[in-house]
Amino acid sequence: MPLSKPWRKLLFPALMDVSRRSFLVRGGATLAGAALVGPLLPGCAPAAASLAHIQGQLLGPNAAAGHLLRDPGKIPAPTRTVDTDVLIVGGGVAGLSARRWLHRHGLTDTLLVELDGQAGGNASAGHNPTSAYPWGAHYLPVPDVRNRELLDFLQETGSLTGYAPSGLPIYSDYHLCAAPDERLSISGHWQDGLVPAVGLSAEEQAQTARFFQLIERLKTAVGRDGRDAFRIPLDASSADETYRRLDRISFADYLSQEGYSAAPLRWYLDYACRDDYGAPAAQVSAWAGLHYFACRKGRAHNATGGDVLTWPEGNHFLAGHLRRQAPTPLQTNTLAYDLRETAAGVEVLTYDTAARQSTRVRARRVLLATPAHVARRLLAAVPGHALPPAAAFHHAPWLVANLTVSGLPQGPGRPLSWDNVRYGSASLGYINANQQDISQDTGGPRVVTLYWPLTDEAPDLARRHAYQTSYAQWLPRVVAELETYHPGVTPYLQRADLWVWGHGMVAPTPGLLWGPGRAAAQQPVRGRIFFAHTDFSGISIFEEAFYQGIRAAREMLGAA
Amino acid sequence: MAELLDEPALGAPVTDAGAPAADARLPGLLLVAVAVIATCGLIYELIAGTLASYLLGDSVTQFSTIIGAYLFAMGIGSWLSKFLDGPLLKWFIRLEILVGIVGGCMAPLLFLLFEYVTSFRLLLYALVGLTGVLVGLEIPLLMRILEHRFPFKDLVARVFTFDYVGALLASLIFPLVLVPHLGLIRTSLLFGALNLVVASVVLARFAETRPYRRRFAGGIGAALAGLGALFYFANDLLAHTETLAFQDQVIYSKSTPYQRIVLTRNPRELRLFLNGNLQFSSLDEYRYHEALVHPLMQALPSARRVLVLGGGDGLAVRELLKYKQLTSIRLVDLDPGMTQLFRHSPLLLALNKGALNDPKVQVISADAYQWVRADTARYDAVIVDFPDPSNYSIGKLYSAAFYTALTKRLAPGGRLVVQSTSPYLARQSFWCVAHTLQAAGLHVVPYHLYVPSFGEWGYVLAGPDAQWRGDAGPLPAGLRYVTAGTIHDMLRFPPDMAEVPTEVNQLNNQALVRYFEEDWGPYVH
Repeated sequence: MPLSKPWRKLLFPALMDVSRRSFLVRGGATLAGAALVGPLLPGCAPAAASLAHIQGQLLGPNAAAGHLLRDPGKIPAPTRTVDTDVLIVGGGVAGLSARRWLHRHGLTDTLLVELDGQAGGNASAGHNPTSAYPWGAHYLPVPDVRNRELLDFLQETGSLTGYAPSGLPIYSDYHLCAAPDERLSISGHWQDGLVPAVGLSAEEQAQTARFFQLIERLKTAVGRDGRDAFRIPLDASSADETYRRLDRISFADYLSQEGYSAAPLRWYLDYACRDDYGAPAAQVSAWAGLHYFACRKGRAHNATGGDVLTWPEGNHFLAGHLRRQAPTPLQTNTLAYDLRETAAGVEVLTYDTAARQSTRVRARRVLLATPAHVARRLLAAVPGHALPPAAAFHHAPWLVANLTVSGLPQGPGRPLSWDNVRYGSASLGYINANQQDISQDTGGPRVVTLYWPLTDEAPDLARRHAYQTSYAQWLPRVVAELETYHPGVTPYLQRADLWVWGHGMVAPTPGLLWGPGRAAAQQPVRGRIFFAHTDFSGISIFEEAFYQGIRAAREMLGAA
Repeated sequence: MAELLDEPALGAPVTDAGAPAADARLPGLLLVAVAVIATCGLIYELIAGTLASYLLGDSVTQFSTIIGAYLFAMGIGSWLSKFLDGPLLKWFIRLEILVGIVGGCMAPLLFLLFEYVTSFRLLLYALVGLTGVLVGLEIPLLMRILEHRFPFKDLVARVFTFDYVGALLASLIFPLVLVPHLGLIRTSLLFGALNLVVASVVLARFAETRPYRRRFAGGIGAALAGLGALFYFANDLLAHTETLAFQDQVIYSKSTPYQRIVLTRNPRELRLFLNGNLQFSSLDEYRYHEALVHPLMQALPSARRVLVLGGGDGLAVRELLKYKQLTSIRLVDLDPGMTQLFRHSPLLLALNKGALNDPKVQVISADAYQWVRADTARYDAVIVDFPDPSNYSIGKLYSAAFYTALTKRLAPGGRLVVQSTSPYLARQSFWCVAHTLQAAGLHVVPYHLYVPSFGEWGYVLAGPDAQWRGDAGPLPAGLRYVTAGTIHDMLRFPPDMAEVPTEVNQLNNQALVRYFEEDWGPYVH
C-alpha cells in the first residue's frame, strides 16, 4: 500500500539502494572520513581507497604440475603398477561424461586421472560461508529437445522434473535462472537485457532489429542435406556449403559485409564472442558467431529458448552429477606424463603430485580427455595421430574473480540481476552467484563472479603476463573494474578470490570448425587411443563437452 | 545588469569615509550579493515551511506560522544589526559563513533529528528563529557597508530591487527545479554553499580583508567541504530515515535487519508502516483481517491446525483464536523485531488482544520460503499474508513454485488463502495471483471487499477442489464486517475488476512484479 511513496519520491530523488545496516557500518565511516579530508563533490571517486580490508587469494589450475609435462625428467620413476581396461586422462566434463557413458554401458573397469584437486575442469567451483560460486562455466541454456542424451542426464540430476502432456520438458523452478536475468549499464543507467536499447539512433535500432530477424531465420534454416544449419552438438549441423562457407571469414568481416555497422550492435556481438569464445568477433569465424545465437532452439513447458539453467556453484552442479553417476575410481592431483604403446595396449606413467609418487598404468585403451596441446605432448613418441600443433588453437587466458560484498551501491534503473554487464566494459561483467536463493534478500553479503577474458594481447603473451601477475597486482585492477559498475563499492568488498585460467577455452577461429583438421584430429589411433575434448568441437560449451565424452565412449564401445 | 554596474556614477564613492578606494565594480558586486543572499534567505524559509508541513501535517498552519516566525526573527536580526560596529565587511563575511552553515544544515538537521528529539517543534522554531535572525542581519549590514557609496535614495532603491528579484527567483526555482531534482536536503546544502561563496568572493575581492583573509578562507573551505560531503552522501542519509514519509506523529520506529518498522498515531488511529508502506490502520484493519480469515475458516469447520505465513502483527491470529476448536496455530514471520513488538507493546497488545502470547500460538522467526520447503507437518488451513509483491525478493513468495511447495503442507481437504493486493488498482496483479495458484494445481475462489485505508482489496482462497462453501460452518459472534451475507457479496466481481488474462508468476519470469509495477506505477510516480 504505497500511500506514502509519492512523498518520498518528491523528497528524495534517486534514493540509493544500499542496505541501511551496511551504510551505518561502512558509509558512516566513509562520511566521517570524507568530512575530515576535504570537499567531496558529486562524481568524484574516492582517491585511491585502501584495499587493505579485502581478503582473498590467487588460485588456478595446477599449472606448475601441468608444466612438468615439458620436463618429465624431473618426475620420480614409477614405484607401482596398476591395470585397467580404460584409462581416462582428464576429469573435465568430456572425461566425466565418457566415464559415465562407459559405466552405463557395461564398461566398468575404468580409471580416471585428473591433474587438479577437483574434477570438473572449466566447471570448477568454490564456496565460502556466504555462498557457493563458480570458477568457470556457470549455466546451461535450455536444451534443444532433440538432444535426448542431455535431457536424460538433466532428468537424472533433478533439473528436468518431467514432461508435460505436450511432450515438452518441465524444468525445476529452482534451476531455471531466477528473474531478473540480465541488465546492462549504459551511461550510468541500468537497462533491461544485454542488447543495447537505450539512446540508439533510428539506424542503430533498425540494424539491431535486422540482425535478430536474421537470427530468427537462421534458427529455422535447413541445409540441402535436410539438417539444421546450426545445431548443438555442432557436428549435427548441415554440411551445406551455403552455411559452412561462413566458417572461412571472420564474424567481424561478415558483419561489415552485411552492413551491420551500428556501434552498439557491434559492441554487443563482440561481447557475445568474448563471452562464449574468449576472443573478439574479429578472431572468430562468422559461422561460430552466428551459431552462438542461432543454435539456441531450446523448448520447454515452463521456459523459453532464451532461458538458462543455473546453480550457485555453476556447472559444477552438472559435473558433480556426472562424476557421481559412475562409481569407478577417479584420482585427482594426478598427472599423466608419459604414454607408449605396448603389445597389450597402452602404458601410461602417472604422477601423484600430492604423494609425489609415480605409477605405471597398464591399460588396454586410453581416452585422452585433455586439451589438444596436452594430448599432442603425451603422444610425442606415438605416430599415427593427426593432432594439429598447439599454434593451431587459440586459447585466451581468463581471470575469474569471486567477490564477496556486503552491499552493492546501486545506480538508477533495473535492480541487481543474474548477469550484470556494463557497455564498453573491459571485463564481461559479473553474475550474482546468489541469484537462485529463494530466501528474502535482507541486504546481507553476497558473492558476485566477475569474468574477464584477457584478450588485449595475443594469447601466448597474455598467458605469460597473466602467470606473472601477483595477487597484489590483480586486486587493484579487479577492484577498479568493479568500481566502474558500482562507484563507491570498495568499502563493501570483503573478499576477492581470483583464479587465472591459462587456457580458458578454445576459440573457433576461421577455418577451425569446418576445415579438414578437426575431423581428422579426433580419429582414434589404432583402436587404442581415443580423444574427447571441446578442443575437438572448436567451441567450449557444456553441451559439446558432454557430447564429446559420449562420442568417444561410443567409439570405444563400438571398437571393443 | 552589467551595463548598470558599469555606470561610473554608481561605482564611484560619494565620500571618502569608506575603505581605501576600492575597485569601482565592488559595490556592484555587493548588489549582486544582495540578490544571492535574498534568494538563499527565501529558500530557507520555503524549506522550513515545506518541512514543517511534511513532518507535522496541516500545511496552512505550518506555512503561516513558519513564515510569521521567520519574518519576526528577521526583524530581530535587523534590530540587532545596530549593535554591530567596527569593520563591517568583516562582520558581513562572518555572517555569511554562519548563514551558510546554519541555513545549509537546516534541512538535514531537521530531517535527521525528527525521530530523536522529544519536542520537534522546539527544534524547528529554534532553527527557523536562528536562521531568521542571521538573515535579518544581512541586508541592514550591507546597506551600512554601501551607505557611503551611493546616495541614500539610490541605495534603498538598488538594495531592495535586488532583494525582491532574488525573492522572485527563489519562489520560482524552488517548486519547479530544486525540489523535483535535488530534493529538500540537497537544496538546503546547495544554498548554504552559495552563502559561503558570497563570503569567499567578498573576502577575495576587497582589499581590506587582507589581514584576516587566510584565517577566514580556511573556515570557509572547511564549511564548504562539510556541506559538500553532506551533499554527496545525502541519499545515504535519507536511506535510513524515512520520517518525512509519514503524515502523523511517529510513536515508534526501529530498523531491524529486515525492514524499517514505524508506528504513527493521530487522534483517531494507529498506523503501522513497513519500509514506508502502510500495513494497517487501527480504524479499519478489522475489515482486512476478518475478510482474510473468516471465509476460509468458515469453510473448514473441522480445522484444527493452522499455519500463518507473514502477519507478524498477530491480527490474523486474533481472528483465528475466535475458533475454539483450533488446537495449534503456527505463525512464521521473517522478522523477530516485528513479533517482539506485537507481543510486548501495551498499545499493540490492546489491538491484537495478546494473540501472539496465547498458548495455542507458536511464533517462528524464519524465512517463509525456506521454512515451508523444510517443514514436514500438515495443516488444515494456511493463511498467507505477505507484503505486496513490489520487488523480486517478495515476488518469489507469490510464485507457482512456492505455492507448489505450500500445497504439500496442506492436510487432505485443506485450503489456503492469499492476500492478493487490490483487484481494482492492480487488476492484473490480482488475477496473476489467482492464475498462479491454479498453475500450482489448486482451484481458486477470488473475493474482495472495501477497506477504506487501502481501497478495494482482494484475496484468493484456494483448495484441492471447487467445493468451497461459504456456509459450511458458523461464524464466530461479534464480527464487524464478515457475515454470511457479506461473504456472498465479496464473491461478486463487477466488470471493472473482472478477470483478465495474465501470465503465471514463475521464479524465472517474475511476471507478478512486472504487473505490480505497471498497475501501481501510475499511483506512485
